[in-house]
Amino acid sequence: MTEMATLPSLAPLTVELLLAVGAMVLLMFGVFTGERSAPTITGIAVALLAVAVLMLAVMDNNGLTFDGAFIMDPFARFMKILTLIGSGVAIAMSVGYARAEKFERFEYPILIVLATLGMLMMISANDMISLYLGLELQSLALYVVAAIHRDSVRSTEAGLKYFVLGALASGILLYGISLVYGFTGQTGYDAIVAALAEGRSTGLVIGLVFVLAGLAFKISAVPFHMWTPDVYEGAPTPVTAFFAAAPKLAAMALIIRVVIGAFEPVTADWQQVIAFVAIASMVLGAFAAIGQTNIKRLMAYSSIGHMGFALVGLAAGSKVGIQGVMVYLVIYLAMTLGAFACILAMRRHDQMVEDIDALAGLSRTQPLVAFCLAAILFSLAGIPPLAGFFAKYYVFLAAIEKGLYVLAVIGVIASVVGAFYYLRIVKIMYFDEPDGEFDPMPMELSAVLGISGVFVIGFLVFAAPIIAAAGAAAASLF
Amino acid sequence: MDGFISTYLIPGLIMAGKSVLLLATLLTLIAYLLYADRKVWAAVQMRRGPNVVGPWGLLQSFADFLKFIFKEPIIPSAADKTVFLLAPLASTVLALAAWAVIPVNEGWAVADINVGVLYVFAISSLEVYGVIMGGWASNSKYPFLGALRSAAQMVSYEVSVGFVIITVLLVVGSLNFTDIVLAQTEGLGTMLIPGMPNSFLDWHWLVLFPMFVIFFISALAETNRPPFDLPEAESELVAGFMVEYASTPYLLFMLGEYVAITLMCALTTLLFLGGWLPPVDIAPFNWVPGVVWFVLKVCFVFFMFAMVKAIVPRYRYDQLMRLGWKVFLPLSLAAVAIVAFILQLTGWGGVPVAG
Amino acid sequence: MDALLQSYLAIIVFLAIALVIGLGLLVAPFIVAYKAPDVEKLSAYECGFNAFDDARMKFDVRFYLVAILFIIFDLEVAFLFPWAVAAKSLGWFGFWSMMIFLAVLTIGFVYEWKKGALEWD
Repeated sequence: MTEMATLPSLAPLTVELLLAVGAMVLLMFGVFTGERSAPTITGIAVALLAVAVLMLAVMDNNGLTFDGAFIMDPFARFMKILTLIGSGVAIAMSVGYARAEKFERFEYPILIVLATLGMLMMISANDMISLYLGLELQSLALYVVAAIHRDSVRSTEAGLKYFVLGALASGILLYGISLVYGFTGQTGYDAIVAALAEGRSTGLVIGLVFVLAGLAFKISAVPFHMWTPDVYEGAPTPVTAFFAAAPKLAAMALIIRVVIGAFEPVTADWQQVIAFVAIASMVLGAFAAIGQTNIKRLMAYSSIGHMGFALVGLAAGSKVGIQGVMVYLVIYLAMTLGAFACILAMRRHDQMVEDIDALAGLSRTQPLVAFCLAAILFSLAGIPPLAGFFAKYYVFLAAIEKGLYVLAVIGVIASVVGAFYYLRIVKIMYFDEPDGEFDPMPMELSAVLGISGVFVIGFLVFAAPIIAAAGAAAASLF
Repeated sequence: MDGFISTYLIPGLIMAGKSVLLLATLLTLIAYLLYADRKVWAAVQMRRGPNVVGPWGLLQSFADFLKFIFKEPIIPSAADKTVFLLAPLASTVLALAAWAVIPVNEGWAVADINVGVLYVFAISSLEVYGVIMGGWASNSKYPFLGALRSAAQMVSYEVSVGFVIITVLLVVGSLNFTDIVLAQTEGLGTMLIPGMPNSFLDWHWLVLFPMFVIFFISALAETNRPPFDLPEAESELVAGFMVEYASTPYLLFMLGEYVAITLMCALTTLLFLGGWLPPVDIAPFNWVPGVVWFVLKVCFVFFMFAMVKAIVPRYRYDQLMRLGWKVFLPLSLAAVAIVAFILQLTGWGGVPVAG
Repeated sequence: MDALLQSYLAIIVFLAIALVIGLGLLVAPFIVAYKAPDVEKLSAYECGFNAFDDARMKFDVRFYLVAILFIIFDLEVAFLFPWAVAAKSLGWFGFWSMMIFLAVLTIGFVYEWKKGALEWD
């Protein structure tokens, strides 16, 4: 043995270690105390994620470790904080639902913590191998979470569907990774960039397309979106809320780092793919949502469309574009969590209601909730001066700067079409006759909805620090 | 052309010759082990056992063999014919295949590959295929249930066998069987008693005694031997996955089973009982060729197999699974950690003697 | 012929001869034995009456569970093989790395145990 193995620096992954150890300790605690400890474990899990956010906010642990396979930089820090907030809020929002629907399983928060751990690994992945490990850790936990309501046929079906399609996507991704490895001889991002400096081959481009296809599945971008509406509809609602938030952010961060970090020399190649996916997602998200009557399906198509908009910024491939994507993701997270807080509160006589028409006359029965939801919906539609407008503004700006006029124009058109179905909900809430009241909104959901509403309405107040932080984070990639 | 003959043809023929020699010896040995099995069993029950064919019934196994060949082969009409016939073939051929890397004396192996243990472990994991294929292809309820049980049982004990093998590997530091045997030329005996020649005290069975016990019991379970012969528990499942088989397909299953048992005996011998090493390395023991010691040890382990079959009552299925998963697995897992820790701490072992 | 090829070719040769023996035994009775099949003889064995339905029925999900657990632990053993051989040269760092790996797996094992995945009754 010529070189003794030594312990790599663990400082950059302090937060990941915390989550990993925490999840395992919680699992042991839960299995020895039984189902009655579920509320305690939920609380500890949220606290764990909150501590992780704090640690990320105050610690200075940037660096490369594990032979460059794991990277901690301002970009990773920004995206990790967002992801952790998404996961933490999703767990917190599930409490009331779990109690009402009698599925208090202590595995649920633990699986979400593990999925979050996978997402953090994805965000920090600087090597194809660590990318895949993180992605699988995330995906496997998510498959189980989708089917957590074991006695419900729809939930199990959603889980199985998600698993089968997800496994296929992972296969495609792996195939792409192996092609990239075959044509460059490298798995590390930096090494791939160095290898690409000598020119690219057709095989590498095919590998790149496969990698992007596999990753597009994870953010449910067209043409790999088919699972989204079914899984969103079938999974228990808190799970849907989680799916719509954190995993999207992590997968988007992963895509950004792969294309910028590893395939920067072949920007022209991936730009076409991303632009196509963006256009297709925006258009499909806008048109397919029109006919939906189930609010969870509608949110599924809405998230497909929003991922398309976010990809517009990435297609620009510039620092401004990445900054735009990151601002978009912040706003998307706030809007999605707020919208799902409302959906989770749609209960009548202790039963979930998922029909859009059930919102009729909400303005008269619960005016404050209706106002917040309306603000969020206007923002989702992208109407100024709400947050959603600025999100779109920044990504379109980046696209135009790079001369991608077609992309920007199609984006604006899709945005206008999409506004129709958001506004239809507002119309139902404000101008239709109420046909019954919802049960009172639990405290944690009101809190999430309130914060989200304030953020969306008053975005201009918070805008400066967020945009500055996103800019600094984006700069660390280039 | 000359180059071809000298580099490929002649070594190829030598390999074929060695293979045939080993297989012929092995199959003859198994014929007599079968006979011994029945004799031991009979003796324990105060019966005579087979005593008609040949002197003292010595030719009994060969008579049985011929009988099987002249029996009518039956393939049930509902069966999946290809898989139905492939199953016994897979069972026997896979069991035999593992023998390719077993050395019976220093340098006496068909293929003394450097990952011998890994190869045997891989092949023995495949043996479950024969059972599953047979049970499924029969398209009959008893075989189906028997195959499921048998497969679950075999894989359950496969895991603890794996961990036990790991402990031996930790001590030896090589995957090669010859290295494993040679590592047993020094050990507890030579270390504790100055001037002591190599003896049975040096073999791994003593230092790894708990592992030796776990390995022996797991070997019984993995080969579906009594008291773990649940798959063919005649009182509930008739004959398990072999119900629909007759004639030589049945013979092949039985043969595969006995080859697997002998393989387990050989593995026990190699890993724990010093392979071909004499019990004490002094005259006259070390005048006897190693291969004789090897065969004697294999026969001794087989005798223990036969005695267990004769005197221990059958396990219930839930007891069987509990023993495998809740006793052996944690124990052997802990043993891996403990052995590795002790070796790290003391600096013993871990470097192959013959490099 | 290099040493590597020599040793692995020998396995192929051995396998081929074993296959010939097996095939020979399998085919022999189809050639030499007396055959008189009839419907009853070729039907599935079912303790005296005809089979009600297909034999490939639903079975206990625990068999799946055992199969999955086997895959996990067998893979674990597969990881242990190279580690065990090189344990000495890896030193304490290698030892603790593997112990952490085993500890993580043990946590999963404890979980399934407490959850009753190993109960058969």
